[in-house]
Amino acid sequence: MPLQVLLVEDSPGDVRLTREAFKDAKVHITLHVVSDGAEAMAFLAREGKHADAPRPDLILLDLNLPKKDGRSVLAEIKGNPSLQTIPVVILTTSSSEEDILKSYLLHANCYITKPVNLDGFLKVVRSIDNFWLSVVKLPPDGRP
Amino acid sequence: MDKLRNHALEIEPEMYQLAAELQQAKLALDTLNKELLREVSERKLAEDSFREGEEKYRVLLDGIREYAIFMLDPGGKVVTWNAGAERIKGYTSEQIIGKNFSCFFPPEDVKRGRPQEVLRLTAASGQQEEHGIRVRRNGSRFLANIVFTALRDRAGNLLGFSEFSHDLSESKESEAKYRGLLEAAPDAMVVVNQAGAIVLLNVQAEKQFGYNRDELIGQKVKNIIPEGFAERLIADGTRSAAEALAQQIGTGIELIARRKDGSEFPIEIMLSPLESAEGTLVTAAIRDISVRKAAEKHLAQMEGRYRGLLEAAPDAMVVVNQGGAIVLLNVQAEKQFGYSRDELIGQKVKNIIPDGFAERLVADALRSVEEALAQQIGTGIELTGRRKDKSEFPIEIMLSPLESAEGILVTAAVRDITNRKKAEANLLNKVEELNRSNKELGQFANIASHDLQEPLRMVASYTQLLSKRYNGKLDADADQFISFAVDGATHMQRLIQDLLEYSRVGTKGKELVDTSAEGALERSLINLSGAIEETGAQVTHDPLPNVLADETQLVQLFQNLIGNGIKYHKPGEIPRVHISAVRTDAAKWTFSVKDNGLGIDSQYFEKIFGMFQRLHKREEFAGTGIGLAICKKIAELHGGSISVESLAGTGSTFHFALADITSTQ
Repeated sequence: MPLQVLLVEDSPGDVRLTREAFKDAKVHITLHVVSDGAEAMAFLAREGKHADAPRPDLILLDLNLPKKDGRSVLAEIKGNPSLQTIPVVILTTSSSEEDILKSYLLHANCYITKPVNLDGFLKVVRSIDNFWLSVVKLPPDGRP
Repeated sequence: MDKLRNHALEIEPEMYQLAAELQQAKLALDTLNKELLREVSERKLAEDSFREGEEKYRVLLDGIREYAIFMLDPGGKVVTWNAGAERIKGYTSEQIIGKNFSCFFPPEDVKRGRPQEVLRLTAASGQQEEHGIRVRRNGSRFLANIVFTALRDRAGNLLGFSEFSHDLSESKESEAKYRGLLEAAPDAMVVVNQAGAIVLLNVQAEKQFGYNRDELIGQKVKNIIPEGFAERLIADGTRSAAEALAQQIGTGIELIARRKDGSEFPIEIMLSPLESAEGTLVTAAIRDISVRKAAEKHLAQMEGRYRGLLEAAPDAMVVVNQGGAIVLLNVQAEKQFGYSRDELIGQKVKNIIPDGFAERLVADALRSVEEALAQQIGTGIELTGRRKDKSEFPIEIMLSPLESAEGILVTAAVRDITNRKKAEANLLNKVEELNRSNKELGQFANIASHDLQEPLRMVASYTQLLSKRYNGKLDADADQFISFAVDGATHMQRLIQDLLEYSRVGTKGKELVDTSAEGALERSLINLSGAIEETGAQVTHDPLPNVLADETQLVQLFQNLIGNGIKYHKPGEIPRVHISAVRTDAAKWTFSVKDNGLGIDSQYFEKIFGMFQRLHKREEFAGTGIGLAICKKIAELHGGSISVESLAGTGSTFHFALADITSTQ
């Protein structure tokens, strides 16, 4: 079964770009996409239309989201014992030091600023794939 | 009186002998008289003898001129008369003998029966002495010392009286005493009689009027005090001389005096009466007050001048005394406070400047009035003024002390600063506005970086994706169009990033701290390591000092200048950059970054520091033209400037100055 990746991203352009980048990297993952924080939490809690949602192996989280923003989502995941072991990669346009610091304080697993050009972006997605989905040993599925 | 008697004894010993002789003669006469009835023939002889004795006595008495000596019969009729009596009293013997002696008394004494009383007392006691006013034949009065002696025969029958009298006003002794007093007086003293003639004066009077004593005695006082003095001595229809004088006693009267040479000078005279035998004399103490008058005139002049100055002043001027009352003001003050002069004079200054002024004039436990004032002199104090209509306006006052006869006055220049206050408020508004617009500009930069970059990133990424996926799959035109779109998007991204960087330099208000220029240089070289490796550039430097700087900005400054030196190198030549620093004054270091690059034509020396100004095409050298603009901004934020010297083709040297760490910002 391919690895399950949840992308929390409100910009369709970025969603498509991420999809293209994973495609470009020729990795076999299942990319689930939600476009706001509330939906992300619903996905993780398998609520409503996400009743059958899998538990993701990796979460790519944008910070600036409609409704519940990325910071709250991060805090809730890391504050929830059944979710906190899922690695969360912050993938955002913000390069502000405040956002970076705050994210790590909320136990983000890493913080990446979206590169402004395509090559950079492809490289970043390839790195994520390489590092988190190949190099790293992820925690066993399920609760501790 | 003893003195007088002694005096009489001294000068007239013969008189007593004569009196004894007279007594003898009288006895002889008595004897003769007794025998007269018996011997008529002897009578002629006896008469001759008496006449002889009487003649002797008369001659002797006539020799005495200082004393009036005469005899009265028991009823007071004058029986004998001597030359002294004639001189003192003014009657010849023919005129007086046989007349009653009461004519020597003032009428008021006669009225109350004084002459008879004197005789009665003398008859009772044998001798009577008195000081009294006597009247001369011409009516003038004098003070006399008189001794009456009763003359009796052996049986004690009253024969008559002798009178010895002395005119005391002629007394040398008394005059000397008075003269002594006069001479001791510090002022000029002149004694004047009722007729306005000078009868006595002191040496100060001689000096003051420039006459010698003899010239003045007997002269009319009008000659030395032309007006206002003599008139005061004279009775008029409504008052007696005594009353006229009484009104003047003890009062300082200012008059004009005239010297012998005709020059005049101001005097103050004080009058006092002096009872004398000649009637009431007036002693006048005369003080030369020319100095005082000159001072007064000077003061008046000064005040006049001061007033002139006050009126000429452009500000409202108010002069206040120590009591806080307004004593002087100018027309500007009237206008400014809306009062007329009369309404303000004497008013408390608190009424027009309610707070902060009067308090400043008052001494407290810690300081005297002068000190209190001294602390305020010359300092502009901002207070509030109040007009008559109670409206208030902002003022600035400047205080200065003014010495005057009334003590220290305070002159306050009061300036209406309504306009200045408005201007200040305006300025403050402008500054606030400017700050706000600067902040907005900063925010704009932020918006540019975040919000503009997002859609731009989409444009760039997807045109790039388009180019990647479809290059060579469409036609040549499509390829070129896509390429232009990619370039444009990329360039725009760079412009926005540079703009953001530039605005960040300006908004960072970091404090300048002790920074190692050498450390900053090293950091910049690390950042430039790629370019250095790529070009084989040689970057050298002299030992660099510590300076007051924002390290991040200093790193950027070095990085931009050295980066430019490497980037704009001559083709085929290894870029060389040398950094040095020279202390240009005690507090300043001038840094130089010298390269061997392309150089810059002098006409572009200013242009290169402008925003997005470039001297080269983008195809030749990449970049947006922000680097030197950032350098300029950094140099300026460090309190200096940046300049360049260069010749096209021989490299450029950039100079900028930084403060030494010992200097305070």
